This record gives sequence, structure tokens and C-alpha cells, in this order.
Amino acid sequence: MNSFFYYNAKKVILNIIIHIFLLSIAATCLFPLIWMIGSSLKTQQTVFRDFSLIPKEMHWENYYLAWKQGGFGRYFLNTIFYTVSVVLGIVFVSSLAAYAFSRFEFVGKNLIFYMFMAAMMIPIPGSFVPLYVLLNKLHLRNTPLGYILCMINVGLSTSIFLLKTFFDKTPRELEDAARIDGCSKLGLWWHVALPLAKPVLAVVVVFNTLNVWNEYVLALIIFDSRQLMPLQVALTTFQGEFITQYPLLMAGLTITAIPVILIYILMQKYIIKGVTQGAIVE
Amino acid sequence: MFRKFKIINILLILSLGILSCDREQEVKQPPKVVTVWHWMTDRKDAFAELAQQYEKKTGIKVNFELYAPSDAYTQKVRAAAQGDTLPDIFGILGEMRDFASFIKAGYVEDLTEEMNKDNGRWRNYFFKKALEVNEFTLDNIYGVRPGIYGVPIDIMTIQMLYNKRFFRELGLDPEQPPQDFDEFINIGKRIKERGLQGMVSGWAELWMIDCLANNFAFNIMGKDKVIKTIKGEIPYTDPDWIKVLTLFKRMQDEGLLYNGIVTFINKTAEQLFANEKAVFAFNGSWCVNVYKGMNPNLDYGVMLPPKVSDNYPRSIWGGAGSSFMVNAKSNVKKEAIEFLKWLTEKEQQIFLSKTTFNLPANKDSVIDIHPRLAEFADDIEITTHPRLWGISEFPRVIEAFDKGIQSIIIGEKTPQEVAEEVQEIKERELNKKKLSRSKLVGE
Repeated sequence: MNSFFYYNAKKVILNIIIHIFLLSIAATCLFPLIWMIGSSLKTQQTVFRDFSLIPKEMHWENYYLAWKQGGFGRYFLNTIFYTVSVVLGIVFVSSLAAYAFSRFEFVGKNLIFYMFMAAMMIPIPGSFVPLYVLLNKLHLRNTPLGYILCMINVGLSTSIFLLKTFFDKTPRELEDAARIDGCSKLGLWWHVALPLAKPVLAVVVVFNTLNVWNEYVLALIIFDSRQLMPLQVALTTFQGEFITQYPLLMAGLTITAIPVILIYILMQKYIIKGVTQGAIVE
Repeated sequence: MFRKFKIINILLILSLGILSCDREQEVKQPPKVVTVWHWMTDRKDAFAELAQQYEKKTGIKVNFELYAPSDAYTQKVRAAAQGDTLPDIFGILGEMRDFASFIKAGYVEDLTEEMNKDNGRWRNYFFKKALEVNEFTLDNIYGVRPGIYGVPIDIMTIQMLYNKRFFRELGLDPEQPPQDFDEFINIGKRIKERGLQGMVSGWAELWMIDCLANNFAFNIMGKDKVIKTIKGEIPYTDPDWIKVLTLFKRMQDEGLLYNGIVTFINKTAEQLFANEKAVFAFNGSWCVNVYKGMNPNLDYGVMLPPKVSDNYPRSIWGGAGSSFMVNAKSNVKKEAIEFLKWLTEKEQQIFLSKTTFNLPANKDSVIDIHPRLAEFADDIEITTHPRLWGISEFPRVIEAFDKGIQSIIIGEKTPQEVAEEVQEIKERELNKKKLSRSKLVGE
């Protein structure tokens, strides 16, 4: 009887400690988000005086002003177009490449794979100038295609690594069965490998969506035309050299964060699966 | 029959020729466009308005293209230079050596001739100090052909500010800020008694400490001795340098510094002064715009850092503001230069200053600007900037010096200890330099 109480009490205390720990982690993650939303409803003066998370007077018009002054409409469409194109491109190329690296034997296979992995180590700003010069020579600078190709290139290495790791662990017997049924190599990739890789693909999609959605430095360098700029550029409208319009900036940030949060919530189930099942090398 | 046909043909050809001549005359030249790349978000609307005015006046379209933040802008300008796609007018951010490398690569037009035309009409628009930062003199260390390569759009000075309401509370005349260090210290005593906070500044950003320390150093020992120290001819353990360091200790001991001043970035310091939490601030002229945004009712004045010695004149950091350069390879170089001349005329400079609260580079514009800005502009002639000294201190020495001042303020080290440490690093850096030079000679 004593030991029953002892184990139950131990379990409850352990649970409380774990929950307090998790709640504090969640609070540290949520605090900036709540602060961002709270500040988006303040005025330029109250943001420096009123430190409460929920302001006394809500200035909802900040959202309208941010949308209008930042020109969010056009930039939103641009970013959606870039994000969809880049993510589709990355999923297509990286899944084919990863499948080839995992299943086929060809000359220089390891060398090419390690070259891709080495590319992961190069910080993006280090490649800005060569990318600019290359795109200029190809007449792709200041074009959406040029930007999309660069962004696909940026996301390929990590995606190939994640998918190859997953394919390496997938039993080949499944593909053998399909091969007996007359499936081609491309058919095996499409009908067998890709459906199995759904959780990892979700990780690839979410990570790259976040990456493209939040990117603006490369866009600023490649594009001259304001009409082609992505959403994040709109946020710089509120950041002056010495003065920042915090309420409008926070309203803008909230607007830009909403789609990404929605995507994350929708794909949460797959992401957890992807990270725990496939994307970690054992 | 054939003859008739021939005549008709000739007439046709002639009429076509005449028509085509007329048409050639009718073909209009496309309007000239000058493209400007800039990073100044807060000046976007003002630039757009000025571009419209200029187009109305001259028919020349000026496209201001904004690329912010400044880090991304710098990357874009560098990449564009490599790709030979620089716009007609652009700005170069960074050190003097970056500016020099653009000039040496042939990307920047030498504007000396234009500046000196008509007895230096254009040159005379500007404060002397505003042009200095865009000028390479005969003996410049960068190997650039002497000349003026940039057009200043605005300037800045870094000075001290005081809260007039607190001055009244402390029984002081708000129109008579302290002139020398003793008066300043006496105010510190009153601040302490009233439980107020003294001076606030972004001294977690080392360059701001360096700025005030240099102000004191110029006043105590003069520019020549400071330069000699940088050259390694005078040690940091010299009594004059100890005096400079001791001033920070005195300010701390007498309650003149805000608690935790060395942990603040300038944005936090600006917030504290704007919200009337500090009696004094040490900040640049850009703060007029910042304080206006944070607290439009703030009642404050601008003052020079207090005089700490009678030996040499006071000097403050300033002069360097935003500048534009003309692309030497531009097809519309002449138009670009003409536009910059127009942009730096008195009226346009007043407009820019009134809309963006920056100090104008045109010296005739200061008569019609925000009164606080005018106070900042008053002292432009006593400004200096490390970019103009022709020699720069080793970054490690600067870091040790500024961090040393932080240590003095928090009571970790004495001025003597800091001076010795800085000198030790200085000697190490000098030896390294000597070694690398002798290696080069050996090779």
C-alpha cells in the first residue's frame, strides 16, 4: 500500500516538474509573439511608456496603416508565388537527387554528394556577389526566375540530406515488389518512394517555406524593381536609419507571421513524424 | 510611257525622302532618367517629392530606389560594382578605405572640377567639415588621386543634451547649461541629492564611449598628441591619458552617470532620456527626430561636452553624414551632377531638413531649421572624426581602451590599471606590425 502511494506520488511530482518545465519553455516561446501583437496595438509614444502586454487602448488601425503604407498586397502575392515555386522546385529536384544518391551506383556519387553537403557549410551572404555576377551574365538578374533558381539552390543541400537519409532506411523489398509489377525507375520514385517519404517531405516543405517566406537580403540584391520584391521588404518601410515605427512594424510582422503559423499548425502532425522517424540519422 | 513612270518614281522617292526626314525630326528623344540608390528609409517620401519637383522643372526623371537596411544596401552596391551595374548616383557606406577602393576601381567620378567651377560656387554651398569626409587630400594614405569624390547630403554632430524641466527642478537656469567640468560635477551632486539619474548614453556600444573620451583627449592634450599616441610615439600611460580616464571615474563617483550606463545600447538610452528618466544624454543630432517620435513634449537643450582643460580648444565628433557619389561610367553623368547640385541648394536642403529632421549639409540652410538642430549645427566647425585623421588606431587597442573605461565605471579597474593594459596591447600590436613589415622586406 505504501509503495503504491510512493510510486503514485513520485509520478505526480515528476509530472508536475515536467509540466512546469514545458510550460516555462512554452512561455518563453510565446512571450515574443504576444509582445509583438500587444505592441502592434499601441501608438509610437505608448510603445516606449506602456510596457503592459495588453494595451489599455487598442489601435487596430495600425494593421490597416501597415498594410497600406507597406504596400503589402503586391508583396504578399509575390512572396506566395516565390514560396510555392521554390518549395515545389526543391521538393522535385531534391527528392529525385536523394533517391538517386540512395539507390543508384554511378561514378563520382560520393564526391557529388559530399559537394552538396559542403555547400551547406557556406553561409549565404558569402555567395551574394558571385550569384549577382552570374545572374547578370545570364540576364536573369532582376527577374523572378533568377531569384527562384537561387532560392532553390539555397534549399537543396539540406533537403537532399534529409531525404537521402530517409530513403537509405526504407526497405528495398517494397521497391522490388513494384519492380516485379513492371514499374520503371521514375515510377518507383513516384509510386513508392515519394508516398513513403511524406513525413520527411513535410519537414522539407515547412523548413523551406519558412526560409523563403522570411528571405529578403538576396531579393534586395537581385531585384532592382520594387514590383518584384518579396513581403519582408515591406517591413523595412517602417525601419528608419535612426527611428523605427514600432507599432506599424509589429503589425506588419503579425500580418507576415500569420500564414507561416497556419502552415506550421496544419503540417504539425507530419513534422513531428518526419523529425522523429526519418529525418534523424540513427 | 517609261519616261512618265520614271518621273513618277523619282517624285515618289523624293516625297518619301522628305517624309522620312520629317519623321526623323518628329522622333522624340526618350526622357533622360537618373537612377539613385539609397538606404535612407526615413527620407524616402522627401526624396520622392524632390524628384517630382525636379522633373517638373527640368524634364529629367529621377528614380530614387530604396534598399534597406544599410547592411543589405552595402552588399548590393558591392555586388553591382562587380557586375558593372551601378546606378548613376549611389552612396558608399563604410570606412574611408572602402570609399577609396571604389574610386581606385574607377567607379566614382571626381567632382573637384565641378565643385570649383564659377569660383567654387558649388563647393561654397557646404560646411567645410561636410566636404572633408568626401575629399582625398594630396598626402592621403589610400593612394587615391587628390580630389572631391562625394556630395554631402547631411551632416551630424555628437553632443550632450539636458532636460530643461529637471534643470528647473534642480534650481538651475535651463538656458545656462554647464560650461566646464566643475560646474558639471556640481550638478551631479544636486542630482544625487534629489535621487535623479545623471547622464545616459549607449555605452554598451563601445564607439560612443570612444567618442566622449576623444572629446576629452583633444581638449586636454590637443590633436597632435592624440595622433602621436596613435602613431606609437606617446604611451597611453602618459599623465594626460590618465587624466582622460580619471574623468570617467569622477563622473561615476559624483553620481553623473545613469546606473547601468555601460549596459545600454543607444536605442535604450534614447528611450530613457525621451521618457524623462535622465537629466543628461550624450547623443548625435539624429536624436532630434528620435525624441520627437518618442516624446513630442520633451523639453531639452543641446550643449557641448563640458570643458575639461584650458590647454586646447574643445572638439566633438561630427561632420560625417550621408553622401552621394556619381558613377564615373554613367551615361547621364552630366545630368546626375546637375541634379546633385540642385539637391544641395538651400531650398531643397531646408525642405529635407524640415521633413526628415537631419542636419543639412548646406551651410546657408541652418537659418530655417528646427531650433534643436540649429543648436547642433552651431558647433559644426569644431568637429572632427577619426576618418579624417589620416591614421587609425589598432582595433584591439580601441576595444581595450573603451572596455577599460567600462571597467572603470563599474569599479573593476583604476584609470592607471586600464592605461597600463591598453599600452601593453598597443606595444604588442606595434611589434606585430613591425614583424610583418620586416617579413615583407625580407621577401
